Amino acid sequence: MKPLYILLFLFTTTAQAQTLLSGRVTDRKGHALPGANVFLKGTYDGATTDTLGRFSFRTFEKDTATLAVSYMGYEPFEKKLLLNQKEVVLTVKLEELATELNTVVITAGAFEASDEKRMAMLKPLDIVTTAGAAADITGAMQLLPGAQRVGEQEGLFVRGGSGLESKVVIDGMIVQNPFFSSVPDVQQRGRFNPFMFKGTSFSTGGYSAQYGQALSSVLLLNTTDKTSNNGLGVSLNLASAGLNYDHATEKQSVSVVGYYGNLKPLFALVRQNIEWLHEPEFVGSSLTYRLNTSQTGLLKVYGMYSDSRMSMNSVVPGTAGPGTAVPGGEGIKNRLDLHNRNAFTTSTYTDSWGDGKWLLNSGFSYSRNSDDMAFDGQGMDRLDERTQARVVLTRLLSGNNSLLFGGEVHGINLQNGFGGISYSLRDQYAAAFAETEIYLSRQLAGRVGVRTEYSSLLNRFNLAPRLSLAYKTGAYSQVSLAAGQFFQNPDYRYLYLNSNLNFERADHLILNYQVMRSSRTFRVETFYKNYAQLVREYTGQPGSPDRFDTNPYRFPWGRTDNRGYGYAQGFDLFWRDQKTVKGLDYWVTYSYVDTRRLFQQYQVLATPTFASNHNVSLVAKRWFDKLKTSAGLTYAYTSGRPYYNPNHERFMTDRTPAVHNVSFTASKLTSIRGNFAVLYMAVDNLLNTRNVFTYRYTADGQTRYAVGPQSYRSFFVGMQIFLSRKAVVKQEDL
Amino acid sequence: MKTTLISALALVLSLTQLFAQSDKYNQAMTTTVDALNQQEGKQPDVAAFQELANRFERIAAAEPKEWLPRYHAAYCYTMLGVMGDDASQKEQRLDKAEAMLKEMETLAGKPNDEVEVLKAFVTQARLAIDPMSRWQTYGAQFGEHLAAAKAANADNPRIYVLEGTSLFYTPEQFGGGKKVAKPVLEKALEKFVTFKSPGAIYPQWGKGQAEWMAAQCKQ
Repeated sequence: MKPLYILLFLFTTTAQAQTLLSGRVTDRKGHALPGANVFLKGTYDGATTDTLGRFSFRTFEKDTATLAVSYMGYEPFEKKLLLNQKEVVLTVKLEELATELNTVVITAGAFEASDEKRMAMLKPLDIVTTAGAAADITGAMQLLPGAQRVGEQEGLFVRGGSGLESKVVIDGMIVQNPFFSSVPDVQQRGRFNPFMFKGTSFSTGGYSAQYGQALSSVLLLNTTDKTSNNGLGVSLNLASAGLNYDHATEKQSVSVVGYYGNLKPLFALVRQNIEWLHEPEFVGSSLTYRLNTSQTGLLKVYGMYSDSRMSMNSVVPGTAGPGTAVPGGEGIKNRLDLHNRNAFTTSTYTDSWGDGKWLLNSGFSYSRNSDDMAFDGQGMDRLDERTQARVVLTRLLSGNNSLLFGGEVHGINLQNGFGGISYSLRDQYAAAFAETEIYLSRQLAGRVGVRTEYSSLLNRFNLAPRLSLAYKTGAYSQVSLAAGQFFQNPDYRYLYLNSNLNFERADHLILNYQVMRSSRTFRVETFYKNYAQLVREYTGQPGSPDRFDTNPYRFPWGRTDNRGYGYAQGFDLFWRDQKTVKGLDYWVTYSYVDTRRLFQQYQVLATPTFASNHNVSLVAKRWFDKLKTSAGLTYAYTSGRPYYNPNHERFMTDRTPAVHNVSFTASKLTSIRGNFAVLYMAVDNLLNTRNVFTYRYTADGQTRYAVGPQSYRSFFVGMQIFLSRKAVVKQEDL
Repeated sequence: MKTTLISALALVLSLTQLFAQSDKYNQAMTTTVDALNQQEGKQPDVAAFQELANRFERIAAAEPKEWLPRYHAAYCYTMLGVMGDDASQKEQRLDKAEAMLKEMETLAGKPNDEVEVLKAFVTQARLAIDPMSRWQTYGAQFGEHLAAAKAANADNPRIYVLEGTSLFYTPEQFGGGKKVAKPVLEKALEKFVTFKSPGAIYPQWGKGQAEWMAAQCKQ
């Protein structure tokens, strides 16, 4: 009987030994956290907090137990308790975890487009759906704050900087020829398809010590790690036809692209302001291979080759100067022939060790570009080669802190023909950098970096410090500051004749404030940029005044030194709203810059010809669900730019009229014979505005003529079919 | 004699305790899974799913070798990941579901069709947050998980529930729509008739959802 007693006793005691636990779970400020899980570790006993953060539950456990509280986004809480049948009442305060949403991010000067980051202001898809961007990465970036549109030249013109002051970087590697070969007064597109990249970061200044050789801006493009399609795709539009094939297995994937293009049909439909002798014709291909070497290692190899040809006549009024006279004395014709061959390969390897505490980014790239070119029958052949290798090691420390260091070496080989003489040069460029990100608290973070560079051609070193600070001022807002020095080798054309030149330098100071809250973004940034050691060219004979030559293809014969200088200052505003009207997404930017320089052939401090003081863009897009169509409308305004008037006493004080452009784009998702397809159309300069980009004067200085776009109103249609993605699921596929 | 009695008693006691423990597990799981099943077909209720997720998590924390409490908790978090309109909160919940999935993968043993189905569900929820820019990556992943689930057990009805749901909400131009979804959902319902659940504490969800959508397709 005794044992039974014991058993009974055991049961009765446990039945009586219940302890009541109750209390409240709040955040640090005492706000209730409803839905938190409060329980005794190792038991099923627990409760969920109610809307007021209150909880209460009973337990049979006795003696010591561990109370645990968990709540999403907060540090887990644990406390040892003594359970002795008496009621336990307690208030638990939880600490918020550091997350992307509540931690400050270092943002000054950067504008990110990313799928991965939830806080990104732009998605890669935004690049192709923006009207006026012509599905070109640079085209879309030109509609962002700080950037400026310069109609007759390619490149990114950022905050008073020229196109040469920006670098395009793919997976850390500088792209030598990011645009199709430059032709006088005709803007060229970028060579890379926006869909190649998973993320884009456009820096308008104050960027990381990891990058150099750009006085104004870097455009960082990161290629995708994996192919998104599987199978064959066909693209067809007014200018080109292409095929792409993707194949992916668990460990590796390959993408092949081939295309042929000819602008003849398009130019037959869209009135051209240029006399084409051979409309641009091009053929190209690319290959991407990605291999997951291990759980963490990823090797990517990308190679592309393109070959393009064109010939055109540019007609200049007047009778003086080189070229062939147009019958009737209406002007002079200059013929330009160009045959471009471009190859670019890059391979990168990334890996991580020690539970992701060590990260490796390494790459090797080679590019070769040749332009067989003749201007007015004179050979102007160009050749450039760049070989580069880069290694970056990052060590992640506790609390978001990190330390990175790395280096890169480049071998650059350039040749350029002018008037029967061939100039060439070689440069060995090397850089080393180190940078650390320090989170002093969730509100305050800093990034301190230093970069040193050496150029064999200049036979000089430089040392560039970089600093960024960010402070979170509220749940959705933050202030950032960035400062630093940026060096760049002078335009290589100057170095052919003078290798005693020094690096050109820019000092940036940027202050930024931004608020991002549920699909609405407001951002204001103000900056001051100081230019120093800019190359000046003296074109006059000793003792006689300098002559300013506006020919974009002139060779800089003059004596040069690094005595140039200048400044740029201003601010820009950005507002984006994806919420107020359902389906509508719009953004507004305004950029103001005041800039003056004494550089190149300039005789006094003046606003450069490529700089406009005011830039405005209004971008709107809407998705029509019923029509499965996305439509976009963009208005872009660029205020007048200075141009050189030889008859005006004061240098560079004349201004062109402002440039207005309204553009439209639409794309429709549909199916063609059971295959998924996208149809798209775009109209540029809808209002057929007779825009003028700049004015030049005939050689005698008597007649002014305008340089404008290749065509005024223009349109483009095309489609992309994905043969792999069947639009209809058949019964047997189930 | 006395010692034998005591040791026998001790054995009985420890055995009952052991049984009591597993009994307690089964009981707690059964009531909680029942409560979860009650939610099927109801208006989505954030508080209810959070409370269920917490209950499953408590059981999971006390039973480090069981995959089912983790599975159900992950399912609750995935359901929470499709509710509301705060994208970052949804992501956070799906992160939680993914963390639980990771924990259970080795416990459940491979290949496990239910685990693959749940992975597909998480992917579908991620895709739904921003379909325009995510369908390329997440769409492919969704298909991969379902294919893996089919390879493990093609008779699992939940495979076709998710496949049908995906088609049901995909626009016709993308190859979706009610017409295409209907046969898949009907197939899911057929599978529910023949599918034998290993027990009351195993995954049960999907039937109500498939029935509702199938009815919509008939209209």
